[in-house]
Amino acid sequence: MSFAERMLNIDRRIIFVVIGLCTLLPLLYPVGLPIKISQEVRGVYDHIESLPEHSVVLLSLDFDPASKPELYPQAVAILRHAFKKNLRVIAMTLWVSGTGMADELLTKVATESGKQRGADYVFLGWSPGGTAVIINMGQDLYNAFPSDYGGKPTKGQPVLEGVNSLKDVTYAVSLSAGNPGVEAWYVFGKDKYKFELGGGCTGVIAPGLYPLLRSGQLNGLIGGLRGAAEYESLIGEKGRAVAGMDAQSATHVAIIVLVALCNIFYFSLRRQARQQGSQS
Amino acid sequence: MDVTIIGAWVATGLTLFIFSFLYKDNPLFKLAENLYVGVSVGYTIVKTYDTVIVYLIWKPIVENQEWTLLIPVAIGLLMLTRYVPKAAWLSRYAFAFIVGVGAGLAIPRTVSSFILKQIEDTVRPLLVLVPGDGVTFSWNLMNPASSVNVIIVLIGVSSVLFYFFFSVEHSGPGKAVARMGVLFLMIAFGAAFGYTVMARMSLLIGRLTDLIEYSDPAYGRPTLWLALVTIGTLIALSRRSRSEPPDSH
Repeated sequence: MSFAERMLNIDRRIIFVVIGLCTLLPLLYPVGLPIKISQEVRGVYDHIESLPEHSVVLLSLDFDPASKPELYPQAVAILRHAFKKNLRVIAMTLWVSGTGMADELLTKVATESGKQRGADYVFLGWSPGGTAVIINMGQDLYNAFPSDYGGKPTKGQPVLEGVNSLKDVTYAVSLSAGNPGVEAWYVFGKDKYKFELGGGCTGVIAPGLYPLLRSGQLNGLIGGLRGAAEYESLIGEKGRAVAGMDAQSATHVAIIVLVALCNIFYFSLRRQARQQGSQS
Repeated sequence: MDVTIIGAWVATGLTLFIFSFLYKDNPLFKLAENLYVGVSVGYTIVKTYDTVIVYLIWKPIVENQEWTLLIPVAIGLLMLTRYVPKAAWLSRYAFAFIVGVGAGLAIPRTVSSFILKQIEDTVRPLLVLVPGDGVTFSWNLMNPASSVNVIIVLIGVSSVLFYFFFSVEHSGPGKAVARMGVLFLMIAFGAAFGYTVMARMSLLIGRLTDLIEYSDPAYGRPTLWLALVTIGTLIALSRRSRSEPPDSH
């Protein structure tokens, strides 16, 4: 067996170890590679930055713990930014399995920022219906969510003063790991009730959302852990996403090298086979 | 014991048990996998019951006498007639209602958002009238709205659509256009795959970050102890499978 053949039949567990080490070592010994801010992430940041105090920001946390590593840092960064700007935050989720995590996240960031539930922010929780919830909120927010996650009636909460439907929301951001998520918020929310919409998503669904960004249907898009790291850099509070960027870069280099090596070995084997064929 | 510490031990253990699949399939992985499915389903059922039955149906009807809610409840209950063969036909009314409302809501909005808006964006003007500069053609590849990108998008959309147009044989100039379509498709697939790799690596980074955090003495070093337990169990299982005679079935 030639070297190229042995390499192409290598035990896959060796590759797992290589990828594992490329991830673990930069996490233990960070290098601090520079992070360039993209226009799409800046779009969300600039819009929140431009909002006057006490504007209403709706944050829809449309993901569950399976997408936590990518979307949790995005949510933390956006909430910190919104609280720093003294904006009123209405949080909710369209994913039932993400309810507890969303509440924990919101409570944690609000406590850090010294914000009070009911006065500065509210967590509406989850309501059944998926996209129908968005339409219902567009007609009457209190009908869609008669009570918040803690069971307290939504009507009369100071944070919701002057907010009757989605038409009264200044800016909405959906952080989504699939459907219902950013697309549903555009189709049944922004397109109908005419509020500004930004998005955040996992890396897997990001390419599918770029057409909405280019056409102006979204004013910004935070894609995956990389997007979260950019947002953390923009607000000047480096967290888990920035810490993970060195590891991300190292694993990408490892994967590119592995793909290149596989191709080299594959083509060398093919060349050998052709040469042997022509000799015989 | 602090709930956070218990949570750290459970999270670390389940992460390591799932990672043990990278070595080979084993009972620890099966335990974690089944727990994940069970907990997810259980959590969803409890949350749905609490939100829907208690807060959206029971309390408004009993406490606020909102009797009109009985209409959607009745339509919803018709779905359950699927389990009674003689009355199963009643469920069609519920399905008809859902399909009718769903289609009515979704079709116009989807056409407007994903077809009309996207066509509008695809056929942008090539030349832009800039006050003071007159008519300009922008060559900036980094600007998605530049004239050169408008041409690229137009060529991409047209060639990919032609590639999927099977009523004409792809020969001569048509073959070149179809090949161009394939090229654009390959670039799109490559970008999607690249993002997918990034996403999967992010998940690994997330778990490893937690494992590093939980190796702290404040949590009782669950990462260290549970890694030893996992590795020890894998070694024991491997030795047992070697000493057992091969399955005769």
